[in-house]
Amino acid sequence: MITLKIDGIEVQVPEETTVLKAAEKVGVWIPTMCHNDLFEPYAVCRLCSVEVVRGKRSRVVTACNYPVSEGIEVLTDSENIRWIRKFLMELILSRWPNVKVVKEMAEKLNVGKPRYESLEKDEAEDACILCGQCVNVCREVVQANVIGFSYRGIKREVVLPLGEQSDKCIVCGACALVCPTGHIKMVIEDYKGKKPEFTLGPKTSIYVPTMQGIPRVPVIDAESCIHFKTGGCEVCAKVCEPHAVNYDMKDEIVEIDVGQILLSTGYDIFDASKMTQFGYGRLNDVYSSLEFEMMLSSMGPTSGKVLTKDGKEPRSIGIVHCVGSRDTNHHPYCSRVCCMYALKFAHLVCDRTDAEIYQFYIDMRAFGKGYEEFYVRILDEGVKVIRGKVAEVSEVTSSGEYKNQLIIRCEDTLAGKILEVPVDMVILCNAIEPRKDIDAVRRLFSISKSPDGFFLERHPKLDPTSTMSDGIYIAGCAQGPKDIPDTVAQASSAAARILSYISKGEVEIDPVRAWIDDKYCAGCRICNNLCPYTAIDFIEEKKISQINDVLCKGCGTCVAACPASAITGKGFSDAQIVAELEGLLAI
Amino acid sequence: MPFRLNIMLCTGTGCVSNGAFPLLEAFEKEIKKHELHGEVAVIPTGCNGFCAVGPLVVVQPDEIFYQRLRIEDVPFLVQEHFLKGRPVKKFMYTPPETKEPIPVMSDIPFFGKQMLIALRNRGLIDPENIDEYIARDGYKGFTKAITTMTPKQVIDEVKASGLRGRGGGGFPTGLKWEVAFNTQSDEKFIIINCDEGDPGAFMDRSIVESDPHSVIEGVLIGAYALGVKQVYIYVRMEYPLALKRFYRALEHATEYGLLGKNILGKGMDLEIEVHRGAGAFICGEETALIRSIQGFVGEAQAKYIYPAEKGLNGKPTIINNVETWANIPQIILRGAKWFASIGTRGKNGDGGSTGTKVFSLVGKVHNTGLVEVPMGITLREIIYDIGGGIKNNKKFKSVQTGGPSGGFLPESLLDLPVDFDELLKVGSMMGSGGMVVTDEDNCMVDMARYFLDFVQSESCGKCIPCREGTKRMLDILERITFGQGTEEDLVKLEELSKLIVESSLCALGGTAPNPVLTTMKYFREEYEAHVKNKKCPAHTCKPLITYTIDGKICVEKGHGCGVCRKNCPQSAIAGELKKEHRIDPAKCDKCGICYDVCKFDAIYVD
Amino acid sequence: MEFEPRIIAFFCNWCTYTGADLAGVSRLKSPANIRVIRTMCSGRVDPTFILKAFELGADGILIGGCHPGDCHYSEGNYKALRRVHLLRKMLQSFGIDEKRLRLEWISASEGDVYQHVATEFTAQIRSLGPLNWKQRFEQKEPKEQLIAV
Repeated sequence: MITLKIDGIEVQVPEETTVLKAAEKVGVWIPTMCHNDLFEPYAVCRLCSVEVVRGKRSRVVTACNYPVSEGIEVLTDSENIRWIRKFLMELILSRWPNVKVVKEMAEKLNVGKPRYESLEKDEAEDACILCGQCVNVCREVVQANVIGFSYRGIKREVVLPLGEQSDKCIVCGACALVCPTGHIKMVIEDYKGKKPEFTLGPKTSIYVPTMQGIPRVPVIDAESCIHFKTGGCEVCAKVCEPHAVNYDMKDEIVEIDVGQILLSTGYDIFDASKMTQFGYGRLNDVYSSLEFEMMLSSMGPTSGKVLTKDGKEPRSIGIVHCVGSRDTNHHPYCSRVCCMYALKFAHLVCDRTDAEIYQFYIDMRAFGKGYEEFYVRILDEGVKVIRGKVAEVSEVTSSGEYKNQLIIRCEDTLAGKILEVPVDMVILCNAIEPRKDIDAVRRLFSISKSPDGFFLERHPKLDPTSTMSDGIYIAGCAQGPKDIPDTVAQASSAAARILSYISKGEVEIDPVRAWIDDKYCAGCRICNNLCPYTAIDFIEEKKISQINDVLCKGCGTCVAACPASAITGKGFSDAQIVAELEGLLAI
Repeated sequence: MPFRLNIMLCTGTGCVSNGAFPLLEAFEKEIKKHELHGEVAVIPTGCNGFCAVGPLVVVQPDEIFYQRLRIEDVPFLVQEHFLKGRPVKKFMYTPPETKEPIPVMSDIPFFGKQMLIALRNRGLIDPENIDEYIARDGYKGFTKAITTMTPKQVIDEVKASGLRGRGGGGFPTGLKWEVAFNTQSDEKFIIINCDEGDPGAFMDRSIVESDPHSVIEGVLIGAYALGVKQVYIYVRMEYPLALKRFYRALEHATEYGLLGKNILGKGMDLEIEVHRGAGAFICGEETALIRSIQGFVGEAQAKYIYPAEKGLNGKPTIINNVETWANIPQIILRGAKWFASIGTRGKNGDGGSTGTKVFSLVGKVHNTGLVEVPMGITLREIIYDIGGGIKNNKKFKSVQTGGPSGGFLPESLLDLPVDFDELLKVGSMMGSGGMVVTDEDNCMVDMARYFLDFVQSESCGKCIPCREGTKRMLDILERITFGQGTEEDLVKLEELSKLIVESSLCALGGTAPNPVLTTMKYFREEYEAHVKNKKCPAHTCKPLITYTIDGKICVEKGHGCGVCRKNCPQSAIAGELKKEHRIDPAKCDKCGICYDVCKFDAIYVD
Repeated sequence: MEFEPRIIAFFCNWCTYTGADLAGVSRLKSPANIRVIRTMCSGRVDPTFILKAFELGADGILIGGCHPGDCHYSEGNYKALRRVHLLRKMLQSFGIDEKRLRLEWISASEGDVYQHVATEFTAQIRSLGPLNWKQRFEQKEPKEQLIAV
């Protein structure tokens, strides 16, 4: 530890601390316009100049990069230092008189109108002040090295190599982030990619995948992380005090032996941009239900405030039910949960804003316990419910009262009128639909799907949680749209089924198995290759084939193929089937 | 085979541009014609130093000095001197004051007062031949170091010699080495700084061109003392001849086992890599040079930790300029005591400036060229004795030492000894050894403006005081030379100078205002003339001068000859034959042609 | 009395059988002419069963299995497909119209598909008329029988 004095205050700091950091520790303010803890001190603005006194000798140094040493005394507010700072600030101000950070710093340092006119004056409000932060962050942190300085002296400029955006630029935006004047901007040109799922703004590279997930830990998205592109940055590792950031972790496939599996793979939401009449993805302020849920979340992009894209509180909101569901063009089924969450949205919006709320519904399905009562309460809160399917959402382009608003056009089927409702924001109740990869998953587990595309249960009434495959269970929206109470009920039931097998300690197998009669088996081995479960082995000594009861699933393929009719399918023997035939055809 | 005569033909850059190579061919042809090629050898050497009179040859062993030779002079010279043994007087150097030719080189005052250490082999050896270097005790210093001295002893010897960095800063070399020596590191580097950016300075170039092995030997000694395995030399791209000779020297040294693996069987390894700079003045600054070698834009780094501790790739790095390295072999060979006996001594035994310093003497003196003088010699001796005084009988005005950011010293300081600290005291510096002499025709304000313009355009532009401050100073100086200056501007100049000196990031900024500060200090009346009277006393700043025809002289002496009228490109002169002529000030663009063509001195400048 | 075709159906336990069940649960009306025999897999359907069924008086035979790739036993439905191809050739030589044998992939969720297939197949058999394969053997002399074959 090193002891020094800053403006008469004694402070102890570790070796190699800079004067700037030491001053921060004792709360002494030192102005700077180029320093950033992300990278090594650049020391170009010189505003952080301080006087260092050692014995009788005194010297002007820059605080941002001057390492402390034992016994020095630092003066941050001597007359000389004040003069240097003011003078430097005057030079900066005379060159960039309209830049916000410059004006602010000038005010702090008590600099009025500069006495010097600069011939290179840049009047722009977002002019580049050559602080070098972008260059340094790109070189030292991102390590992409795609921004640099060009020309010497007063002609110095921040440039891209050869004036073009290099293909080495990973478009991380770090330069725009550190730029104090806003001179560097991120421009998304011809963005044709898919909108990021369920988000309203850019996703950061470090995020918690599911807030309720266990363990609730953040992960790094290797695709957008700077470190994985250039090998640089590592800012997260530097700030993580328990040193928990590990860049060497790799995606891995873990094999776990299990006896039973519960599939609760959930659902996707209907892509409302397929229904162009609603303008989703085309018009501002048309949101999907999940996006609006994000907006309502206190951890969301607006911290729970209901705001339009312009950042204003909406004066009116339209909620459109049955987007993609109960629609023969998309999903004929009812998504079951929309009516209720739409009412919840209305309730929350009422609570947080003064907006008028319109609900456009086909049928209000408030079928659960306490649901109808909630519906009545919402009606009491003044939410306008209109029975009628929305025909179109359009933007008002003309001037007039509803300038820049959205118009919902629909027929009020109760009043028998065509309505045009101006709103500031539209929320679409997207249908719940099966996961995109449901076919791959169901083949993996040898189960089927129902006509609506969700996993098929063994029996719709008598066995709604198990499937045709033994030991495979389904629960939640993977089986079909349902709300939380239904999901909990089904999942509990499935869990109980699973536990009952575990507590039993043994598994009953279906007696439907094939069996080879040694007497008739000629050892031709046709059946050996047919069996999909390799349950049939050829016994070399006996020159016959034999079926392993545990492996055999009783499909009967071998039974049908045996030229000697030596294989019998228990429960489905030739004789039994022929008897069935005889019986069926007797009449 | 020894030759009867050795013709040492200077092939330094100055003489080459004056046609040294065709001259070499002519000599060889002529010698062959007279079948003298067994007796007379023509040897191309590095820069002789007396660049003002090139191309030149020195005929050894008699040291007969011939200057300003042309190809058509060769047959006569060969016949007279080489064949008949009669030195030719008309090609010899003739001082302007005595008109008596001086045959022997060392009798010429330009050489007489010089003392050669760094340049001791100039003009005596073929720089492309290692054997000639070895014959003149080359590599003896290194051999002494590696066989009889420990690294610590080498460093102590350099320390005791009092050698200070010749690149500009004047930091004690031994001390620098000691810091690097005491810093623990798995790897250390040496960088030879041959990025000589000062306009009109060519000390380092000349050393590399005339004696590249002396640099390599110096570095070998340094590398041995510091345990360095990798050396970089940073050479300006503008020095093709120096590069060629250095490459040749590297080849030879490697061939002779003086570079590479297991040098002299002593287990020492050394590689020298040539790095060519792209011509930025700032790259002569240590930290900017390191950045440049690392492949970044050359800009000075904020430093409170010296490269000797943390330099190239974060490893201890010793950077010395070519001249410093060239001094090292002599210090080791002849001892620190000998070296320290030359030059000045500080008050308490420390400080002071020992050894010699190479200057490139340019400007308004007779004998421009490269001179190596002992420290402590006065400026007057350099300018008048070596330089031969001011050309054209003009009056001396000032001398600027230390390159573009050095100060201008007036006549009253001519008896100042050349010494690092003495020069600093009067507001100038030693720098790398530029020395520009001005006469009465030079406007000091304009000189200050010129050098500030140079510094401003060569500033890396990184820190605010240097980038913005020098630009504002330049703006003001330009205003003054245009006659738009105010007295307040002079205050502003002083204020800005103080700020730039106090708060700049590197030495470039720290010294940039020197020309302004010194001219304002020693030639304040010139500034005041510009500002108050809107006149340029030296008649240099065109907007401030007027050409006027003295009607009386014009009519009486010249009879209104009209030559000026015919020659004026602007048709600004009106008048008829035998009548008085007049210049229309609105049309005159002050080219000065009329002044030059008037045979009757009827036109005067004010 | 109008001819009522007798159709034997072999349905795999996992897909078509369940699909047919779904048709029932969904109250989809399908012809009663289809008489279903459940097998664990369409691969269990032995070609002899089909010949036997024709012999016993069936007018048409419908085999139902899982869609390719969906077989509960990985590839039983492919085995069924192979067999049906061969059997069709054989049926021709027996003088049986190959249209009387039909193989369909109907998944457990395709109650409507089952309904459609059942209705259509029944109508097709109805238009083909009775097969009366057994009677043809019984009525004729052995020599004539051979000629008939």
